[in-house]
Amino acid sequence: MHELGIVINVVKTVEDFAQKNGLTKIDTLVLQIGAMSPVIPTFVENCYPIAVKDTLLEDTKLQIEIIPANGRCNDCEHVFNVIQHRATCPNCKADSPEMISGNEFLIKEVVAC
Amino acid sequence: MDTYKVIEIKESVFENNDHQANLLRDELKEQKTFLLNLMSSPGSGKTTTLVQTINALKHEFSIGVMEADIDSDVDAKIISETGAKVIQVHTGGMCHLDADMTRQGLKGLGIQGIDLVFLENVGNLVCPAEFDTGASKNAMILSVPEGDDKPLKYPLMFSIVDVLLINKIDVMDFFDFDINLLKNKLVKINPEIQVIPICAKTGEGIEGWLDWIRDEIKQWNT
Repeated sequence: MHELGIVINVVKTVEDFAQKNGLTKIDTLVLQIGAMSPVIPTFVENCYPIAVKDTLLEDTKLQIEIIPANGRCNDCEHVFNVIQHRATCPNCKADSPEMISGNEFLIKEVVAC
Repeated sequence: MDTYKVIEIKESVFENNDHQANLLRDELKEQKTFLLNLMSSPGSGKTTTLVQTINALKHEFSIGVMEADIDSDVDAKIISETGAKVIQVHTGGMCHLDADMTRQGLKGLGIQGIDLVFLENVGNLVCPAEFDTGASKNAMILSVPEGDDKPLKYPLMFSIVDVLLINKIDVMDFFDFDINLLKNKLVKINPEIQVIPICAKTGEGIEGWLDWIRDEIKQWNT
């Protein structure tokens, strides 16, 4: 379990960003989490209320977008969903594709004023 | 009425850690301190391997050890008997160390004049692989009873390590552990990886590991 430490870091980063950009109220925080990322969205949601307590984000809503785990086949260059196809190319059956998305953990944007 | 607008941030949380790790690595290179991040499952023999290694190298290098655990100081006590400088780092429930925690640990240890620091990471094959600690090199121990299928289950860990020690080779006959099968799996994940079979308890094979460390330190300091 490492989400709490990570979410506390996210809150700090957003607070710094708000201060630098003169934001006083943050309505929504949008995170993007890759489907293969070691960060579990449900755990992030559970940790979030504790991590934002007594910070600028105390009343900020959290929104999480999931980025699909896509890979490109090393043999035929077909792009496919790695989780759905269990890392085997549906086109030519080769394994070990090159990952092109799905490991991200991004602070995408805030809705603020 | 306040007007809200969407403000793009697009900052990667992992990239932040990667940046901190690179800064730390540069500083360590400058100070000629080689930091080796040692990872494995619980019970693979990290501490026994470290004790053997420190005893064999302590007359060549000045050595420090950072013991990272969720709790307790049992490992730090054992290591301190070798005479190496030790600090116990408690992660307080966290399953890995990140670059910032590593920096704090090194500060607490005091690395002035230390040539070689071992970071004994939390026993876990998942999270420590995700977070760059800022170490010069990454090493992993896989012990024979764990099985030769582990690269399939924890591909990320096996893809980021520079050297893999296969520990407890003295009990190989009692387990279905096929080292060639393991190597075939590793070629796909990490073709550059060095594999060194050892038995930390008897000292078998340890010389190859010591030579690897000596070579890496030499390269780090040039």
